[in-house]
Amino acid sequence: MERQNFHKELEQLKLTIYKMAALARQSFENACKAYLARDDDLAQTIIDGDRDINRIELEIDRQSLRLLALEQPMARDLRMIVGIMRISNDLERIADQSVNIAERTIFLCQHSPLERVPAMEALIDISKKMFTMAVTSFRDMDAEAAKEIPAMDDQADEYNMQVLKSLIEVMAASSPGFEKRVLKMRRSIQTIIISRCLERIADMSTNIAEHVVFIAEGVNLKHIQKL
Amino acid sequence: MTDTIKFAVKKLDFYYGDFKALDQISMDIAEKQATALIGPSGCGKSTFLRCLNRMNDLIPGIRVDGEILLDGENTHDPGIDVVQLRRRVGMVFQKPNPFPKTIFENVAYGLRVNGLKNKAMLRESVEKSLVDAALFDEVKDRLNQSALGLSGGQQQRLCIARALAVKPEVLLMDEPASALDPIATQKIEDLIHQLKKHYTIVIVTHNMQQAARVSDVTGFFYMGRLIETGDTETLFTRPKLKQTEDYITGRFG
Repeated sequence: MERQNFHKELEQLKLTIYKMAALARQSFENACKAYLARDDDLAQTIIDGDRDINRIELEIDRQSLRLLALEQPMARDLRMIVGIMRISNDLERIADQSVNIAERTIFLCQHSPLERVPAMEALIDISKKMFTMAVTSFRDMDAEAAKEIPAMDDQADEYNMQVLKSLIEVMAASSPGFEKRVLKMRRSIQTIIISRCLERIADMSTNIAEHVVFIAEGVNLKHIQKL
Repeated sequence: MTDTIKFAVKKLDFYYGDFKALDQISMDIAEKQATALIGPSGCGKSTFLRCLNRMNDLIPGIRVDGEILLDGENTHDPGIDVVQLRRRVGMVFQKPNPFPKTIFENVAYGLRVNGLKNKAMLRESVEKSLVDAALFDEVKDRLNQSALGLSGGQQQRLCIARALAVKPEVLLMDEPASALDPIATQKIEDLIHQLKKHYTIVIVTHNMQQAARVSDVTGFFYMGRLIETGDTETLFTRPKLKQTEDYITGRFG
């Protein structure tokens, strides 16, 4: 009755998604580092590395569909495979947002820095923390840790709004010369886009946390407050 | 739950001689639903099934303690007519077992035993049973040919038609599709979906996917005990007990 081969393949699938999570995390952390340090070389490595993450996503799809079709998993195993497919989708989107941050960073590196926006640093900190906690709670299958993540999402949204407000003020402040004003606006808008990417990564970390609770407990937290 | 209870089983113990095959089984079986019993070989699920229409009475040296109430009446009371009980609680077995008679006579058999002689009524009942068993279209032109000429899947549906002919209230199915190919299995499963609108169905199966597909409620047996019972979707997606989880995910060692 023991399904040794199936469970070996399921462990292999888990290893594949851990690898994807590690790469997505590295990509995101480097994106934050490149933005803060204005390091366009580092930013370029993120863009170059995205292909590897996409390739792993396809591999996870393939392995998951194979197990669903051939092994007809049940209960926790079924939830694990469905959860892994959802998490890999979120990881891929987080990696895409990291590429987006890297592309804006390369632009920003070509121009003098804008004045410091403290909420931006706070947003980077909280989104990094949320993503790290999401990945760790998945690895440890720790539903209690995962449940702490959604509550942090409101704070991330708040920081994003603060960044927007600060940069609208920067753009509205008069400065001499048309071209300088255009450039200031362009830099501000690129930074607003980065802020939006960070806020989306916080959202997707929340999704991952919800998937972890689904896998561990079979409870669907998605849209729970809206239903 | 507002479901009507067809069978209420209370603290059922069952012994083959000194061997206790069922240990304190309590379970309600809802009317007009399909209840699946799963568990490894020797767990007691077939023994339990056969208790429901007292098929085990035929085995020497058995002993039953506890109660099995069918519509509130104890099926093991001394005054119970066992033949009448088995008319109300029909059974289909693992291996199709048609009589070496014509297709018509297989289905008419139980009706004749019950004293029905009117030819028109016999024909009507036989046809209706064959329709209900989803077999009529395949055999309507050869009702007078031997049932042994049918395929395995058709023979099994004939046995279902034979069981339905005497208008039972409950249909017990012991691995009804395990000897059939996938297409015949599919037909039996589709049939169960149809039949449960009118009959209470209890099915024993080794095929967990089949239990998941056809039943509304599932009970997991292990070593003579009913470990967990619950609505099928919950039991197969998030069972309450680790023992159930380990069995259905294949981690039993």
